Amino acid sequence: MAVTSGPNDLSSEMEVDAFRRLFPLRFHERHLLESLRPDGRPLGRARDTTLMLGAVASANGSAMAKIGSTTMLAAIKMEVMTPTAEAPDEGCIAIEFHMPPICSPLVRPGRPAEVAPVISKQLSDTILSSGMIDLKELCLVGGKAAWMAYLDIYCLDADGALFDAALLSAVAAFSHLQIPVVSLNDDGRIVIISEDNNGGAMKEKEPVNKEKIKLKLKSVPFSLTCVLHKKYILADPTSEEESIMETFLTVVLDSSFQLVSLNKPGGPGLTNSSAIQDCVTLTRQRVKELQKILNEAISDMEVD
Amino acid sequence: MAGKSGSTPATYSPSLSGQKKKRPPVLADSNWVRPDGRTLHQCRPAFLRTGAVNSASGSAYAEFGNTKVIVSVFGPRESKKAMMYSNSGRLNCNVSYATFATHVRGQMPETKDISSMLHKALEGAIILKSFPKTTVDVFALVLESGGSDLPVITTCASLALADAGIMLYDMVTSVSVSCLGKNLLIDPLSEEESYQDGSLMITCMPSRNEVTQMTVTGEWSTPKINEAMQLCIDACSKLGKIMRSCLKEAASITQD
Repeated sequence: MAVTSGPNDLSSEMEVDAFRRLFPLRFHERHLLESLRPDGRPLGRARDTTLMLGAVASANGSAMAKIGSTTMLAAIKMEVMTPTAEAPDEGCIAIEFHMPPICSPLVRPGRPAEVAPVISKQLSDTILSSGMIDLKELCLVGGKAAWMAYLDIYCLDADGALFDAALLSAVAAFSHLQIPVVSLNDDGRIVIISEDNNGGAMKEKEPVNKEKIKLKLKSVPFSLTCVLHKKYILADPTSEEESIMETFLTVVLDSSFQLVSLNKPGGPGLTNSSAIQDCVTLTRQRVKELQKILNEAISDMEVD
Repeated sequence: MAGKSGSTPATYSPSLSGQKKKRPPVLADSNWVRPDGRTLHQCRPAFLRTGAVNSASGSAYAEFGNTKVIVSVFGPRESKKAMMYSNSGRLNCNVSYATFATHVRGQMPETKDISSMLHKALEGAIILKSFPKTTVDVFALVLESGGSDLPVITTCASLALADAGIMLYDMVTSVSVSCLGKNLLIDPLSEEESYQDGSLMITCMPSRNEVTQMTVTGEWSTPKINEAMQLCIDACSKLGKIMRSCLKEAASITQD
């Protein structure tokens, strides 16, 4: 770990951990000079990513995503609503991002994290504008009943790149979602037909949908957050890196590499636009990785 | 769409057709058959793991059947500015439920009293003198509520405290029993809890043989209470052994 340096540098006399805490920026810049990050990654590489579908039994669709130690649990519960007059044949998606106090020492009960509503808004903008889900698929009976998909994402462990992990878990939860078999009863309410008495219950009312439906997902969005510092671009920052360096750029591309969203939330200005190009290139590579991870998770699920 | 219409339209969760939930008749002499196929005095299989949350000082995950809980421990860290000077440490507990934890979204139980119950269950086991002037925060999130939530939270919290290296007199384990007619059911499911005539919960430190918390609600006869207490205490000591082996395993992994 001992990187030799000039004679007037404190780092030669100090323990690595103490130096890291006292001079975090210099600690990181020393690493950047060697094109390496404190956790051993090259600058452009994201952390190990895992995805598990169906983590929550009480939900209609769910997924747990882990990027490094950042962990997100997303679950969808389907409820029935009366569609609005403007869109009588469309359902609705409500997305909420939560940061419970368990996820980070910075969040305390009663004092919610400031970033949570920001990420919540960003997520619903991204998912709804990407056109991944056709809201018409959520229609049950035109003008009378439609599905309301409540997607709740919980951050279980916050270690940077929260939006990326949250979006991945959200997308995976939608690909795991199974819409239950329901029918319209005489009171005009939607009821679930249980699987075991399917044969016997058929005669009471024709079901609206014959079997469990999976949504057809078009152009699934994936994202990568990068930290820009001087001439360096660091993909998928940890919370330590996020707290030290100031310029972030989140790029969202869909599965055909079309740009869905580009977000730079303030911070110092960019010196050159080629940095943005580089971020997009990194995101393209990342989208390929994430697509593979999602497909593997889906096929693992089907084998079980 | 969430932002399209200003107010969220009223929604409902579709119920199961043709089936009205009725309390199954529990006659005084009939035997209750448990929905998950357990015998009356059999606990659900327990899965415990420490180190679930890296950003916390200590954490644990517990899964008892469908009840799934994560507990993070932070600190000892600076007490709130408004707090008076205190020679002994403080314990702060908070329990919350995920919106999808219950069968119908958003129907979460009141968490204020659960938080204070957790506080009282743990307080007696922690050596508060070992961290003067500071606070230890114990935060729990119930991911899925499948019955016996508070005992699972308490057990998981004590494991998380041990993982954080907070000095304890002993591990804290907790088990509850439901009384249904003439039957005593250990470690009840939420369905069984909704039918119960009475419930008894014991939180204890198994190797010291001390009870830190006991609650009894509903209708009980004295011999039944004695039987239920014995059941709980036996289950607690077994659970204590599982927790110890979980901690030993975690310690041996970090040593390697």
